[in-house]
Amino acid sequence: MLTVLIYGAVTSAIFAMLAVGFTLIFGVARILNLAHGTFYAIGAYAAFTLTAVYKMPLLPAAIISVAFVAAFGVVMERVLVRPLRHSALAVLMITLAVSLTMEQVLFLVFGSQSKNVPAFINHPIYIHGVSVDGQRLVALGVGVALIAALWLFIQRTRLGSAILAISQDPEAAQYMGIPSNRIFSIVMGLSAAIAGAAGVIASPFLTVRPTMDLIPMITAFSVVIVGGLGSIPGSILAACLIGYSETIVAFYFNPQWTGAVSLLAVLLTLILRPSGLMGKPISS
Amino acid sequence: MRRTILLLASAALVGALSLSSPANAADKKPILIGLDTPIQLQVGKDTVAATKMAIDEINAKGGVLGRKLAYVVADEGTDPQLGVSAINKLTSEDHVNVLIGGYDSGVTLAEEPHIAQSKTIWLGIGSASPNITALVGRDYNKYKYIFRINPLNSARQASQMVDFATHVVKGELGRDKVAILGESAVWVRGLVPVLVKGLEQNGMKVVYQQLFDETLNDFTPLLARVKSSGAQFLLTILSHANSDVFIKQLYESRLPMPYGGIDVKSMTPNFCSRINGDAVGETTVNFITRAPITPTTIPFWDKFVKENGRAPVYTAPGAYNAVNLYAWAVEKAGTTDADPVIKELEKADYLGVAGKIKFDKVHDDLAGPGYQNLLFVQWQKGCKRVVVWPKELATGKIIMPPWLNK
Repeated sequence: MLTVLIYGAVTSAIFAMLAVGFTLIFGVARILNLAHGTFYAIGAYAAFTLTAVYKMPLLPAAIISVAFVAAFGVVMERVLVRPLRHSALAVLMITLAVSLTMEQVLFLVFGSQSKNVPAFINHPIYIHGVSVDGQRLVALGVGVALIAALWLFIQRTRLGSAILAISQDPEAAQYMGIPSNRIFSIVMGLSAAIAGAAGVIASPFLTVRPTMDLIPMITAFSVVIVGGLGSIPGSILAACLIGYSETIVAFYFNPQWTGAVSLLAVLLTLILRPSGLMGKPISS
Repeated sequence: MRRTILLLASAALVGALSLSSPANAADKKPILIGLDTPIQLQVGKDTVAATKMAIDEINAKGGVLGRKLAYVVADEGTDPQLGVSAINKLTSEDHVNVLIGGYDSGVTLAEEPHIAQSKTIWLGIGSASPNITALVGRDYNKYKYIFRINPLNSARQASQMVDFATHVVKGELGRDKVAILGESAVWVRGLVPVLVKGLEQNGMKVVYQQLFDETLNDFTPLLARVKSSGAQFLLTILSHANSDVFIKQLYESRLPMPYGGIDVKSMTPNFCSRINGDAVGETTVNFITRAPITPTTIPFWDKFVKENGRAPVYTAPGAYNAVNLYAWAVEKAGTTDADPVIKELEKADYLGVAGKIKFDKVHDDLAGPGYQNLLFVQWQKGCKRVVVWPKELATGKIIMPPWLNK
């Protein structure tokens, strides 16, 4: 039971890290970023490159990797997304193109073989007799800390207030002198950084492959649909629900069925509450 | 004088004609080998490298029937559709004389009707499902073109795993309760029933068995179940699954039992070091190692390492043997026509680099003393590979994973 509680928390934390960035960018810019999984993959590959190729210690490598992914997100927003933001369909297409292109780039540069990122803690930690992989506890701690920091940033800072203002009423916010383009860039950078951080801390115990962006993308999408598009608390709640459901299914039934959990959750949400657990009603 | 000029002119004409005649090897069309292999993977890269090595050696000796050998590659990936396209390209566009390749059994099974339709000999060097060669027995006239050089089919691998479990796991380590974890692939589904039956016949008990999807990347729940099953040894059967992650998670979970079995990715020479030594203690089968299995094993191994800068995986000896065996059969048949070459291959008793190659009635390579067999190799301290079974080739004793020694 304790094992499921701990592993469920770890899974939920990673899901939440993937989903909050995705929902944040939707809430502010009203765009669905299909390259969100790419941020996760680039974070993992950057950490691999710095640690395995440049023999850098893990902590500075992790920080540089996250900064690199944030910069990638900002450049992508500025160069590719912003010129097309007037059309939701065009944004979908360009972000999908980025995702597919980056997958091929990773494939060409690193090959198809799995890569390995070292762990911060490479031994189990015993909690009330249950052995838990130390790196997973690191992932849990980092996930909780990053989401808490994001929450404080949005609620307590001027920049956070500007982000909230734009997410609530972009036109009114612009009339009040809030530079919307700058805010979009910052939000894309933040969103990319959090997904990249998820890639860096999950890659030591999961997999680093060119196709690793797909599952996180589907997970982020599922969590955000269940939580309500644009709602950060909704995403966190949905991440916990889906994370624990998948863990329970994996431990008590069959690990192969976990993929069906999020799809079932999405289906039920769309039938019973299309706006998600904490999303704004569709009519508004 | 006029007569002398005429004689000289005639001699020159005859000489020129003889130089341009089909009997001259340099002007003959090469015998073309088509490689259907996943070229992005190590198994595919080694297939190409070993084929090139064998071709260079044969061509240096003058080729086959006075013709040089050449090869062309088509990527079959691990996708049946891609595999069928590769076969059709090699046979219909490149008009190869023989096909060598295969890795994923599902892909090979999808390719077989197309191979048969093209009436081109296919020498399998990577896929293990018994269903692949069973077709030869079911419809010989249609599928007689299919031969498996390497690896052993999964049923034969299962019985050699039973030998390992009986003599090493039960005999040396004194453990008779085993759990089985394997990927849900065609060849594994064929292997597990034979394995379970063999283990039970030899006084061992299978307390837990589970096949999982090869895309799975969090094995923690499965390892938790193995832990609680009361098993004393974990038998693994992995090929396409993500072994890097599996072994890392197994190491991190400090599974309280030794483990080993088939792990194709762990056959890669840098596997242990690329996961920071977490594989120390893992025993996995191999089809070749640098040991005097036959007189040509060590020369082949050393030359491959010298030319490619890495040790070979199992498709390399397969491809090297396949090229040499095909060249031998063509030489014997005196033609590249499929039917006479098939007759020669069926009679072959060929000493390859990993053992003797002889085919059974369904064109499957035989196992047993002198033939190609599984070698059980363990990653030990410093990521060094040690052969622990069979006894006659063992270079050391099996050890426990490091966390069980503390």
